[in-house]
Amino acid sequence: MNSFEQVAHRGQRSRPGAGIYRWETIRGLAAALLVAAPVLLGVAYSVAGAVGLTGVGATGFALDRTRRVLSERVVWDSIAFTLWYSAAATALATAAAIATATMFRRGERADRVAHRLAIAPLPVPYVVAAAVGLLILGQSGFISRALYALGLSASPADMPALVYDSHGVGLILTLAWKEFPFLALVAFSLLATRAAALEEAARTLGANAWQAFVRITLPLLWRGLLPAVTAVFIFVVGSYEASALLGPSNPIAFPVLTLERYDALDLSQRADAYILGLIGMIIALIAIVLHEWTRARAERLRG
Amino acid sequence: MDARQGGAATRVSSRSASRSASRSASKRASKSGITTRAKTLRYAALFALFASAVVPLALLLLWSVSGRWFYPSLLPHSLSVDGWRALAQSGQRLGVALRDSLVLAALDGVAGCAIAFPLGRSIARLRGHARYVAAAAVFAPIAVPPIAFGIGVQYFLLSIGLGSTTLGVLLAHLVPTVGYLALYFMGVFTVLDTGIEEEARTLGATALQVLLSVTIPILRRQIVEAVAIGFLISWSQYALTLTIGGGSVHTLPLEVFAYMRDGQGSFAAAAALLMIVPPVLLLLAAQHASAPLARRAVTHADVVPL
Repeated sequence: MNSFEQVAHRGQRSRPGAGIYRWETIRGLAAALLVAAPVLLGVAYSVAGAVGLTGVGATGFALDRTRRVLSERVVWDSIAFTLWYSAAATALATAAAIATATMFRRGERADRVAHRLAIAPLPVPYVVAAAVGLLILGQSGFISRALYALGLSASPADMPALVYDSHGVGLILTLAWKEFPFLALVAFSLLATRAAALEEAARTLGANAWQAFVRITLPLLWRGLLPAVTAVFIFVVGSYEASALLGPSNPIAFPVLTLERYDALDLSQRADAYILGLIGMIIALIAIVLHEWTRARAERLRG
Repeated sequence: MDARQGGAATRVSSRSASRSASRSASKRASKSGITTRAKTLRYAALFALFASAVVPLALLLLWSVSGRWFYPSLLPHSLSVDGWRALAQSGQRLGVALRDSLVLAALDGVAGCAIAFPLGRSIARLRGHARYVAAAAVFAPIAVPPIAFGIGVQYFLLSIGLGSTTLGVLLAHLVPTVGYLALYFMGVFTVLDTGIEEEARTLGATALQVLLSVTIPILRRQIVEAVAIGFLISWSQYALTLTIGGGSVHTLPLEVFAYMRDGQGSFAAAAALLMIVPPVLLLLAAQHASAPLARRAVTHADVVPL
């Protein structure tokens, strides 16, 4: 055994790299835990508040509040409504992003202009988007005035109710407008980096344009977009501003219901908000797991 | 058996050949029709994109300088700069909100970046399953509904004397900011070549010297971008300010919301337009930054506008 082999052998036995790696793993996970710690604190206080151990008017451990809140019709209607408008807005924005990205992908001047225009509303904050939505879609908003000017309506009452309506149409349109630029941005970059070469290969192998689109481009876009789509969906489910300004009061959006209970004049209702907050966090948790899963899949796809 | 296979193969190939011939013929026949239709569709889509980008902002601008503007008039009856004047006057509600928003957002950006930089770096070293677990944990403060989180921690902040204070609101804003920027720096340090740092260490530099004269200069652009992102997260934050601030901390988003509720359109529009200015500047700066590292970091971090 020469000295080189000895060194190699010793290295294998004591494995200095493994110790460093274990230390790095512990440090990395501790760092991640530190980032998430405030959320855990929030969860802990919400649980304590939900079972009556802390918060305004805490009366000692009891589960009857949880039981009552979970049996309320309003709560479940509110959750269903929030999942509905969030899913509808996200689906609408995703479809528009895919259509825009595939329609404007040739790198000509019109395509570049389209990219800029699509991404332009990206930095609009939610509260501004909500204000714009009310301004344009409201009962006496800009569309309503335009219809009057065209002789199609005679008063604000003739305008179909888009804002505060029970289906949340105005809310869905506004949120979709807010989400679209980000999803379009991701879709553009996916097509620019991956799709062209694969599609070219498929065309060379005899696929026609439609086949190449359905079998190559669409799956690629869909899989690559999924992490962004789930992320956007999470934000919309949790966002308060737009649903408070544009949403109906029956069914009421879930974040709005949560805050309404928290600010209730009847102090005995306030702790309900902890339970609703926990439900919101559970929904977010499911979405986070979904998000990481889709991202891991998309990363594998990226290679 | 060989013969049968061969026959099948020719049959298939001849069928596909005739199909492709008929396909190309039909394509030739309808090609001009399809292209004009595609062109019309393209222009229609271009127009829709233009409308979606420009009309809302134009209306917001018009609204911000409107005086009286009743249904069904398409244009305001009179013009007024009251909304903008209120923003400029530091003693007024909007002026105070503007100042507080700026201070909070600047502090949030700087502090968030300083905290997230080392955390993101440690997380970036993770491999395998630990990496996915860590990414999910870091995503939690971003994904948790702000109202739910705000309600959860408000009692804690009250109990340590920080409820309804600006410092408490700042701490609350730091939570999503640190999550977001840790994810950002995780992306940055995943693609950063650490060889150059090790080289400096080998040449005798201390860890602090490496950080100050190697790592930070290399990542100057990313650090500036991180501070800017942190600024924006605080700048557009509504729900956390509302729940933690408890009505005693007023920022611009809260004012926009309140003016919308009260039907004071021109004030809301002026504040809303002002709210868009910093994000637009950041977006323009990001478009000009062509550093491949910055781009990859952005795609890695799944940068979602807040």
